[in-house]
Amino acid sequence: MVLLEAHLSRVATSPDAESEQIQRIATGDENALRELYAACGQRLYAYALRITGDPAAAEEALQESLVAVWQGARSFRRQGRAISWLLGIVHHKALNTLRGRPLLPLDEEENEPPGELPPPDELAAASERRRLLHAGLRQLSAEHRAVLELVFYQGLSMEETAAVTGCPVGTVKSRLNAAKASLRGVLSRQGFNEEDLL
Amino acid sequence: MNEHAKISDLLPFYSAGRLDEEIRREVEQHLAGCAGCRSDLALWLAVKSEVAQANRPLSAPPALPDLALQQIHHTRLGPGAAFRRACQLLFAQAMLVQREMWPACAATMAIGAIVALLSDRIEVISLVAPLVAASSLASLSGPDFDPALELALATPTSPWKVLLARLSIVSAYNLLLALAATLALLVIVPPGLLGTIILGWLAPMSFLSALALLLSLWIGYKYAIAIAYGLWLAQYVPYQSLGMWMVSPAWQPIIAAYQQFWRSPALLFLSSIVLFGMILWSANRPVSRLSQSTG
Repeated sequence: MVLLEAHLSRVATSPDAESEQIQRIATGDENALRELYAACGQRLYAYALRITGDPAAAEEALQESLVAVWQGARSFRRQGRAISWLLGIVHHKALNTLRGRPLLPLDEEENEPPGELPPPDELAAASERRRLLHAGLRQLSAEHRAVLELVFYQGLSMEETAAVTGCPVGTVKSRLNAAKASLRGVLSRQGFNEEDLL
Repeated sequence: MNEHAKISDLLPFYSAGRLDEEIRREVEQHLAGCAGCRSDLALWLAVKSEVAQANRPLSAPPALPDLALQQIHHTRLGPGAAFRRACQLLFAQAMLVQREMWPACAATMAIGAIVALLSDRIEVISLVAPLVAASSLASLSGPDFDPALELALATPTSPWKVLLARLSIVSAYNLLLALAATLALLVIVPPGLLGTIILGWLAPMSFLSALALLLSLWIGYKYAIAIAYGLWLAQYVPYQSLGMWMVSPAWQPIIAAYQQFWRSPALLFLSSIVLFGMILWSANRPVSRLSQSTG
């Protein structure tokens, strides 16, 4: 059985709408940039926000990413899904933005992205699971949060996740395992186990 | 790697719905008999739900494509805007060059002109002009002389553009000083000789300037000045009259070739071009430059 190898070799190669838009951007078509943003801007913004944890920094990183997409569209080779290529650019720009900024203040709630926390009344009604997971996810590093975002929200394969984050597949696995151990630690300290989450 | 570990690695992708049907079935078969993996799966499903919930209310800022396009248009300059930006860069960098350099170079060149006039020896200008240019260019860049260097390197302007701007300003200034000193020689020489005099200092000045600047980037200001001055003055050493210190006759052709090098404008200009290429290449390597210059 070569489950993992089979999974890793499965890379989408079919051309998609984003690929066509990137090719039009390479010819200087400004509308193609707007269309590309309309199609996947939300996913890219969510990823930038997940890494930076700050809406202003995420916007800055995303704007820089769009400029980079414009400048680098000619180098897009359609070797994978366009979204992976785009997320790779956002990943790089978001981490660069983080490096140029001071560390988040201890009172992290001040920097909470809008909408990430429900209003107080809803929060009170929300499950303990969400609260704990939310807290656990916030404790992870930007790189670990990035991997979780790519897998669970962006729906990337293991190899695509490795390509976007610019690290080997083994590192993706170790980050997932580290995130799992960290989240499990948060839950167990509060007397929960994984079955309580279901 | 055993089957449990492989399945465990696939569980995040299973919970995200990213596995092929065949692999998915194999994972499910394993899950049926493995409580540890079921526990992991519960955690991953909860993470997936949490990530999706957190992202659900997010919407991308609508103005970003237009802001990005504005930024792109801004970087695409027409000839007029490019000229204005070049002027701004030159002016800004002129302000950052060591202030003492301007009067020091002018005073040295003035002294050279006065000595040439008083001694009636026009070659004094040819001796002094390259030295002045070399010392000013060696102090053009680097942490020893430029407190704003780190700031300059952090700006969108490339390090090589910053260096090129300073190089242009200071070289133009040195050129004007040397020309003024040469014109002062009109008191003692006929105008027809001016071309020969200018060529006499222009070629060595460009080579020595380039060499001093390159060495200052690589090994620091002090060594750059010492080597550049040493190489320049070595051609004037009267090796024939050194008595017991006279070098072996076998070295005579080498010394003659060395002295001839400094009197060959074409070779000097060609070497200068090569050195300037190396300077611009070195300018884009700020880390090595900083570490070496501060040493």
